[in-house]
Amino acid sequence: MITQITFYLFATILVLCAGMVVSARNPVHAVLFLILGFFNAAGLFLIAGAEFLAMILVIVYVGAVAVLFLFVVMMLDVNFNQLREGLQRYAPVGAAIGVALLAELIFTVGRLKLVPGVQEPTLPGPQISNTEALGRLIYTDYVLLFQACGLVLLVAMIGAIVLTLRDRPSARRQNISLQHARLPADTMEMMQLEVGAGTDALGGFIRPRDGYGATAEPIDARALPARRSDEKLGA
Amino acid sequence: MALSPRVATPSSEFRHTMQNLLSAYFPIAVFIVIAAGVSAAMLGGSLLAGRQKPYAEKNSAYECGFDAFDDARRRFDVRFYLVAILFIIFDLEVAFLFPWAISLGRIGLFGFWSMLGFLGVLTVGFIYEWRKGALDWE
Repeated sequence: MITQITFYLFATILVLCAGMVVSARNPVHAVLFLILGFFNAAGLFLIAGAEFLAMILVIVYVGAVAVLFLFVVMMLDVNFNQLREGLQRYAPVGAAIGVALLAELIFTVGRLKLVPGVQEPTLPGPQISNTEALGRLIYTDYVLLFQACGLVLLVAMIGAIVLTLRDRPSARRQNISLQHARLPADTMEMMQLEVGAGTDALGGFIRPRDGYGATAEPIDARALPARRSDEKLGA
Repeated sequence: MALSPRVATPSSEFRHTMQNLLSAYFPIAVFIVIAAGVSAAMLGGSLLAGRQKPYAEKNSAYECGFDAFDDARRRFDVRFYLVAILFIIFDLEVAFLFPWAISLGRIGLFGFWSMLGFLGVLTVGFIYEWRKGALDWE
């Protein structure tokens, strides 16, 4: 009874969220609804007894993928009204994908078999948890697929770096050991000033004396504009 | 294409397991209820008890005493995106460690070394990104 109630609760919220993801006007709201949908899908996985999938959904999809979506939505300089204009043009493609997904769902629910000889999946049984059943299979029986996963992740890592990382000749990189070796005396100077005398009257001074860039190292020193150490403020 | 007549009917044993499983998550439900109650109390409390006299000037966008200069929706450095992608990759790597840690006693030395091979491949990528300076900030 409780199982049914929780199932219908999660399923209803999930369907409502999915509708809001598509129809929300503000794309940031759409991503937030997507996150709520992920949580409810995790709840459905829990009810189905797949607690590993549920936790992975929360950790990977909510924790990382949804944040990436938010990044993309908030970063890209896209005019979302312009995007909406293409709706008519892309509607057939979207409808085709929807029909394909619907067909897959019908096959699954109706237990239609396209390929003969495929066995029914067997439940691991109540005495062994889902995660443990996966662990017994992934690293031994499916070791090649597992290593292929590692290679896919490696390719993703290198691809992301190659695509997005570029050297900026004017950028100054942090040198952490230099920053740690810095002493208060290097940066701070106690001064006795006359009452009423401003920095302008005293000729001005710059803090810290060698500038904040002292602990950062330029990648290419020649590309930097020459710094004048005797530069005075208020001049 | 054959349509098998069997309809999904969970056995009584399966149903019993489900009840146990859901009751195992009961503490989480308690946490969720408490969290919802506390946040609703904070929001509702300030809504009810706070003095609210909004007017146009108070509600307008404010940026250090000026009107907002431009839209917040602008191009960021792609570097933030790189950090997020690298985070996802290592997140996935960690996700593979959980079932391995649980079943390590059963899968023996072979399972152990297969995970070490996986980690080795990703360590190659890690060294690459380190040497390439993708983790440095400028």
